[in-house]
Amino acid sequence: MTKDKIKQDLINLFPFVVVGILWEVIVQLGLSGIKTLPAPSDIFRSAWSLIWGSNVLFHHLLSSLYRITVGYLLAVTLGIAVGVLLSLNKTLHMIFSPVISLLISVPTLAWVPVLLVIMGLGDRTVIMTIFLGGFFAIAYNTMSGIEMVNQNQIHAAEIVGVKGLRLVFSVLIPGSLVSIIAGLRLGIGYSWRALVGGEMLAAMIQWGVGKMIYQARFFNDTAVMFVGLILIGISSTIIDQLLLRRLERWTIEKWGVVAEN
Amino acid sequence: MKQFQKWLLPVLFIVLLLGAWEVLARTHIINGALFPQPSKIAAEIQSVHTRELPERSLLLKHIEATTYRLVIASSIGILAGIVAGLVMGISPAIYRFFNPLMTALMPIPGIALAPLFIVWIGFGNPTIISLGGLAAFFPIAYNVTAGVRSVDPQLVRAATISGSTRLGIAFQVYLPWAMGYLLTGVKLGLARCWRTIIAVEFIAATNYGLGYMIWDAASYLRSGIVFGGIAILIVFYFVLEKGVLNLLEAQTIRRWGMVK
Repeated sequence: MTKDKIKQDLINLFPFVVVGILWEVIVQLGLSGIKTLPAPSDIFRSAWSLIWGSNVLFHHLLSSLYRITVGYLLAVTLGIAVGVLLSLNKTLHMIFSPVISLLISVPTLAWVPVLLVIMGLGDRTVIMTIFLGGFFAIAYNTMSGIEMVNQNQIHAAEIVGVKGLRLVFSVLIPGSLVSIIAGLRLGIGYSWRALVGGEMLAAMIQWGVGKMIYQARFFNDTAVMFVGLILIGISSTIIDQLLLRRLERWTIEKWGVVAEN
Repeated sequence: MKQFQKWLLPVLFIVLLLGAWEVLARTHIINGALFPQPSKIAAEIQSVHTRELPERSLLLKHIEATTYRLVIASSIGILAGIVAGLVMGISPAIYRFFNPLMTALMPIPGIALAPLFIVWIGFGNPTIISLGGLAAFFPIAYNVTAGVRSVDPQLVRAATISGSTRLGIAFQVYLPWAMGYLLTGVKLGLARCWRTIIAVEFIAATNYGLGYMIWDAASYLRSGIVFGGIAILIVFYFVLEKGVLNLLEAQTIRRWGMVK
């Protein structure tokens, strides 16, 4: 890490420190006008007791991480597979791509009531919602990415006898990686929203960051809600920055694919 | 004609699918209580429509409530987003301060904030509209900022020399230049606003709204209304996207003489 990078990080951190101090002062002086607005110190104390006192924070976080891992991996696998299939077969494409673009417009969380009726109030519903949230974005982006692969490259590969699965894995997918990764990033965003909302809405679930926020409402415990929100913000940033951004950079180096803009 | 051909096959497929669904549910091959046949879905939606007739249509009341929230929330979000975007785009100091905060707040889903807002400002419209507005605000502010920051400084200098006020420059130089960005932002913002409003209606609405209708039906396991409600959401968004957004785009392109 270079000196400039550290300096930049400090500059980025500065606003948070200022807002935090201002916030603390306003609440301590009783100027906020909202009785239930916790001060940063309250939030910190609340986080501390959730971590060390009752030990529930990790349980909530792990349940959420488990759900998003299963749901999102399913979405990635099936999304890419369906995207490839639809881009290869003209008839399938003509039939299903309008259907997908209609279903993509359904707010992800609107699937929850449908799934509640079909699958019940438990874990499966939440995981399925996460899956649906990611699936459409990934399938759609894979499909449109492969359609934009240079036809000459495909012909060249076919001439030298590359076809079938090898064509998919060595020409089509590498050629459309930029679009696929854009879909993966879009998909994880939808999946997160589905996770948090799904955990709130599925009544039989007891653990999960979304549930923690939702349950805090019954005690008007806004400090716990803030802990949950911060946790959501941090986890989604980590997943996006550390995993997907890195994947993006790695593919650009390895395949020499350059993202537009 | 080409448009027609493009839609022929998918529409045919959907009709076939619905037909097969109807037959399978009627012959009890698939569970009609979980997957009610299309005719039953239509009948149940019809029953929502007629339940309180002739005084009023409950279905229209739900649609009205959601539309009202969407209009108010997105207007607030768009206005606030434009102002914030202009300020952040024009002043580098303000940009440096608020950009990290915005980047941190943007990915937090609206529904995660719902319990907090319910505690603060109560169930119903206050919470739903605020969160809808917030959802629209971020992408618009973000895009307008990017647009304003891309303005050619020469233009600003030219405007200053010819005696424009700062406010004049903001609305006559920066904003027109950022129009394309603003449109992208409004598109993203409206979509987010719409999603958030439906989701928050699930937990914060007290009597009306499409989200409320669907959620209420789900808790009584009235699957017909749930499926019908989803279909209405699809149509609603289709109209919003094709109607409002495309109209907006056509208008602004003509007004500002932009070429796509």
